[in-house]
Amino acid sequence: MKARTDRVGRWSLVGALIALVAAVAYGPAALAHGEKSQAAFLRMRTIHWFDLSWSTDQLNVNDEMEIKGKFHVFEGWPEAVDPPEVSFLNIGIPGPTFIRKESYIGDKFVPRSARLEIGKTYTFRVVLKARRPGEWHVHPMINVEGGGPIIGPGKWVTVNGSMRDFKNPVTTLTGQTVDLETYNEGNIWFWHVLWYAIGVAWIAYFARNPIFIPRLLMVNAGRADELITPTDKKVGLLFGAATILLVIFGYSSTQSKYPVTIPLQAGVLRGITPIELPKPTVDVKVDEATYRVPGRAMKMKLTVTNRGDRPVQLCEFETASVRFMNPEVCEDETGYPEDLLAEEGLSVTGGAVAPGETKTLEVVASDAAWEVYRLSDIIYDPDSRFGGLFFFYDDAGNRQMVIVDAPLIPTFM
Amino acid sequence: MAATTSVVGVAEAPLLDKRWLAFAFGIYTVFYLWVRWYEGVYGWSAGLDAFAPEFEKYWMNFLYTEIVLEVTTASLLWGYLWRTRDRNLDALAPREELRRNMTHLIWLVAYAWAIYWGASYFTEQDGTWHQTIVRDTDFTPSHIIEFYLSYPIYIITGYAAMIYAHTRLPYFDYRKKGLSLPYLITVVGPFMILPNVGLNEWGHTFWFMEELFVAPLHYGFVFFGWFALSILGLLLQVFASFANLMGRELCGESVYRGGDAATWPE
Amino acid sequence: MSTTTSAVRSHAEAVQVSRMVDYLGLFILFFVLTGSYHIHGMLTMGDWDFWADWKDRRLWVTVYPIVMITFPAAVQAVIWERLRLPWGATVCILGILFGEWVNRYFNFWMWTYFPINFVFPTAAVHMAIFLDVVLMLSGSYLFTAVIGGLGWGLLLYPGNWPVVGPLHVPVEYNGMLMSIADIQGYHYVRTGTPEYIRMVEKGTLRTFGKDVAPVSAFFSGFMSILIYFMWHFVGRWFGNVRFVKRT
Repeated sequence: MKARTDRVGRWSLVGALIALVAAVAYGPAALAHGEKSQAAFLRMRTIHWFDLSWSTDQLNVNDEMEIKGKFHVFEGWPEAVDPPEVSFLNIGIPGPTFIRKESYIGDKFVPRSARLEIGKTYTFRVVLKARRPGEWHVHPMINVEGGGPIIGPGKWVTVNGSMRDFKNPVTTLTGQTVDLETYNEGNIWFWHVLWYAIGVAWIAYFARNPIFIPRLLMVNAGRADELITPTDKKVGLLFGAATILLVIFGYSSTQSKYPVTIPLQAGVLRGITPIELPKPTVDVKVDEATYRVPGRAMKMKLTVTNRGDRPVQLCEFETASVRFMNPEVCEDETGYPEDLLAEEGLSVTGGAVAPGETKTLEVVASDAAWEVYRLSDIIYDPDSRFGGLFFFYDDAGNRQMVIVDAPLIPTFM
Repeated sequence: MAATTSVVGVAEAPLLDKRWLAFAFGIYTVFYLWVRWYEGVYGWSAGLDAFAPEFEKYWMNFLYTEIVLEVTTASLLWGYLWRTRDRNLDALAPREELRRNMTHLIWLVAYAWAIYWGASYFTEQDGTWHQTIVRDTDFTPSHIIEFYLSYPIYIITGYAAMIYAHTRLPYFDYRKKGLSLPYLITVVGPFMILPNVGLNEWGHTFWFMEELFVAPLHYGFVFFGWFALSILGLLLQVFASFANLMGRELCGESVYRGGDAATWPE
Repeated sequence: MSTTTSAVRSHAEAVQVSRMVDYLGLFILFFVLTGSYHIHGMLTMGDWDFWADWKDRRLWVTVYPIVMITFPAAVQAVIWERLRLPWGATVCILGILFGEWVNRYFNFWMWTYFPINFVFPTAAVHMAIFLDVVLMLSGSYLFTAVIGGLGWGLLLYPGNWPVVGPLHVPVEYNGMLMSIADIQGYHYVRTGTPEYIRMVEKGTLRTFGKDVAPVSAFFSGFMSILIYFMWHFVGRWFGNVRFVKRT
């Protein structure tokens, strides 16, 4: 019976260890990043990402990729999110599957948080280096202090190879080149194991003798002082002195080995320059916007005035990273993530708007993305306004961006 | 040396049943290693998007199942321990009482081990998860394991240990002495961590979702975690219970003169 | 009942049982303390402990000793007073370091793949041994609070410098001055932990120039003294052995 129990125990342990190793060696495909959980009105009225491009979606460990594009900090920023005074250009990936080598807002390197202004548009660029093989959903992302993560569109990227081959060399100002994957690791193990062993030895020294019941009874009998012998005191003195000496030795030897060190660097980066977009010559007034729940479609009646000198047509409506395209006017050529691209999602009745003309356009933006990305939940939000970008093109291919921010009424019929 | 008057036959059983000790240690260890495997595989592949069907399949179903199993286990285990309580503790032979004291230690070993997995391993693991991904539901994979699996398991174990002590050990006899205060605190304090999840989730939906671990929102967990320090008082009681049974044999008359050894001097 | 007849057959058996109680009791004490001290620690100083780019010379040095002297004071209050055991602080620190290392290795590294050199915990055994030795040699809680508590605060930084120092070597990175730890924080993406929640020195202790760490450690030591006093009584309260008839 006992032998059987032992066998069961042994095999259970072996099984559990195999399972653990299997879990660790598992090469996964990770899902999206929780962007759908955030209230639709927050996603529609904070950061609008556009003109994005991913340099590749297939790479090997140690290869680099670049994500770049623009983002607009929305004028109708919701009350629920603090203004983006302290914002961090982040990247939404499942842990350090890539390392972030560089990131820029405008031409400024932003390893730390930066100050953004509402109503402005910025360019950004992030360079990533593949570290862990798998299929990863990679998003640009802005974290806003007091607001949280605002996630941009995610694209699937496949990384091949082995993480063991990953190298991350950095050259210090003192002239050494170190690999950040393993730098200082032996040193960390050494000191932690040493101190832990000393701590265990301290307790073990006293655990040689009875630990609990006899000591309790001796203390109760008023003979507590006998429990700490003169030898114990000497050993205590030894441990105390050795501890202090080891701390002094460790500190001074580190100081002599690394004479040049600096404090951690912190502080908000200011002076981030936005780009100046030409003022649009198209005015858009939303007369009515309704969301038809059963049809997964948003219907807008727009009064559009063209103050320019060429006819313009509505090509695209972007909201919360979903792009509804009017195929009669334009199409995406950047390899935008498919689930966020409604290639034929925008129908426009009314056609082109001639120079000087004011015209009513009936626009329908429909796609399953309303449901999949939970944008239709905006009708249950506490602040049911929507926001987005309209892109108009003239007959010469010039683009104009117009911002829209208006209430949304649901219809259930 | 006093003669042994305990029942012949019972005396044959070992004082400490090492198989039960190994079982108590092993069952949590093996189960939690399996849980860790499950997290390793289905955390990344099905746990990042709370609105995906695979999340429902691998994580929400896990949640529903564990809740049902926990309620069932708690009812059966606590019910069994209560129904089989010793109704005549005065007649308990000292040898058997000693054996029960050892069994009680196995219960406390189980509780300590369960507390370790819940409060230490899975709680900091939750930090690992949150700092790596974007929080998108109250029921993230790490919460389904931490809050709704590992916490109930130590709660079930803790109450079971407490029922065992109070219904089977004369030192803790609930009819004569009532309930041990340190026991109550050791078990109820960490139990309160579970309802405190309510505050945690409310705060995270209200103040959004940055993963600052030291945020004051989390101090409820800290406060209730302190209560486990009552293990200090409880262990004194456990030692006193042993001293009642063998204090004289262990230390002699001159050291042990009877009485409740746990009591603090005035 | 149990005092009239004996449960053990010999002194030798009593000793044997007592030893079993020792080992099981040690296991119980160690792991219950690990759980509760770890949950306390990770939610009061955890972020500094998780990441190398939080281990700064001001706030880490200040916060860690102040919030972490709590449990050592409480455990010493009971196990020294009632058992004359001089390792109350050490058992707490070994417990939390065990919990932290297991998680850093099996989860931070083997689940989310942060390199160990970025997620190692704070070393504190040297502080704990100092506190325990002071109590054992002085036999006085007052002395332990004042001298031990002060030392507890002062020792954190020098004791950790051999591990942390190499990460503070400067690097010119894309035209900016950064320490290696800063670059670790930048490279190894933490999606849920943006840079701005990092609480580290931002150069506000201007007057003292380079003496930020000693000043912080001294303040921390002072606060540790006060917290030691408070938590001594917290420990005594948690060491109570009363029974209650009614709940």
